[in-house]
Amino acid sequence: MDEYYYVTPRPMIEVDTDLCGNAVLCLRCVKSCLDAGPNCIGFINSDTPSVGPGAPQQLEDIHHQIITTCMVNCNGCGRCVAACPNGALKLIMPEPQQPVERVQRCDIVFCATKRDGSITVPRD
Amino acid sequence: MCKYCVEYGAGTKWYLNPDNYRDELYSAEIHSGTVSMLGGAGKNTFEVGAMAQADIMMTDLYNTGYFNMAVENMTAHGGQIVPLEDALKILDICQEPFLLMNCSCRRYFGRTDVKRCLFFWPVARTAIKERPWEKDTEILTKEEAKNFERECDKKGFLHSIWHAGVNSDGIPSIVMCHCTATDCVPTKFRIDYGIMNSQRKGEYVSIIDPLKCIDGCHSYPACQHRCQFGAMKYSPVDRIMYVDPQLCFGCGLCRAACPRGAIRLTDRSAFPSLVDNW
Repeated sequence: MDEYYYVTPRPMIEVDTDLCGNAVLCLRCVKSCLDAGPNCIGFINSDTPSVGPGAPQQLEDIHHQIITTCMVNCNGCGRCVAACPNGALKLIMPEPQQPVERVQRCDIVFCATKRDGSITVPRD
Repeated sequence: MCKYCVEYGAGTKWYLNPDNYRDELYSAEIHSGTVSMLGGAGKNTFEVGAMAQADIMMTDLYNTGYFNMAVENMTAHGGQIVPLEDALKILDICQEPFLLMNCSCRRYFGRTDVKRCLFFWPVARTAIKERPWEKDTEILTKEEAKNFERECDKKGFLHSIWHAGVNSDGIPSIVMCHCTATDCVPTKFRIDYGIMNSQRKGEYVSIIDPLKCIDGCHSYPACQHRCQFGAMKYSPVDRIMYVDPQLCFGCGLCRAACPRGAIRLTDRSAFPSLVDNW
């Protein structure tokens, strides 16, 4: 895969899972991003829960951690960082880079496998 | 019909072939692991986990073509949009009862729980056994499930059929989902990232009768917001709606909103340009 060189900085959210604890018990950062609009923060079970006699009976018994998704929509407002009572979130704004090559997103995607068995490789 | 219908449909669409609902398919070794991952304890690990990885792998929606090819080679067709009529036919083929559960994707993005995941019984057993923390579930009879489908159509929730893997023994369907493009992880993958296999277009496309449509909604078209794929466009000059067949997924939700019955579904294969567009 070619490396992607972006022109404007993309925000990144770094989560300290130790400071956070079990995300499902709080979720303030998730709600703050949802209320602000972009909905870039979610949470997920840290491991697939066990099955059988020792299986967790409540959602709260499963350890969850904060994840970021759809960060293309993040505008770097920092509400999530402010919402965390433990200071577990950090907003990182990388330095702008000189673009090496500009690549267009492909907007029309056809079924990759055609009737005669050949494959279409979508333009990137 | 796409190649999956041709190979697995036995003359009809793959999801209307009763052979694909045999009990032994769900417990067959090839499919049972996927059934557990998509219906059981591994459900969120897979789907929400994929969403977490997507940004890292496709920053700024770059390299979607490579990701698309990798997914196409690994999974070969995940789910497909179906209109209400086909959804009811699918429920007819299934055995009773059905299990109604909360949509997993939605909760993990901080939104309120909504019960919209309709599991078929062989998979429902796995879901109940492997996810004991999901206490807010309902068991539905076939008639109740069909009424639920009709209600979802009226409310504008996409009907989609999902399965546990394409293999030489068939395609076991596991669940009917009633989602929205705002909540559903696989739908987001298809619309935002263009990942074909996460969600296929339906076997139909919408057609609008301009004589019935014109001036019908007095410039506030009722169908436009129903389209979650952006295929419905309003012309203020002509005062009618145009549907873009290249963008239409054939979900049929626009029909329920039209006060004049101006919209109908026709076969995707009737359009030469759409024959390979899934």
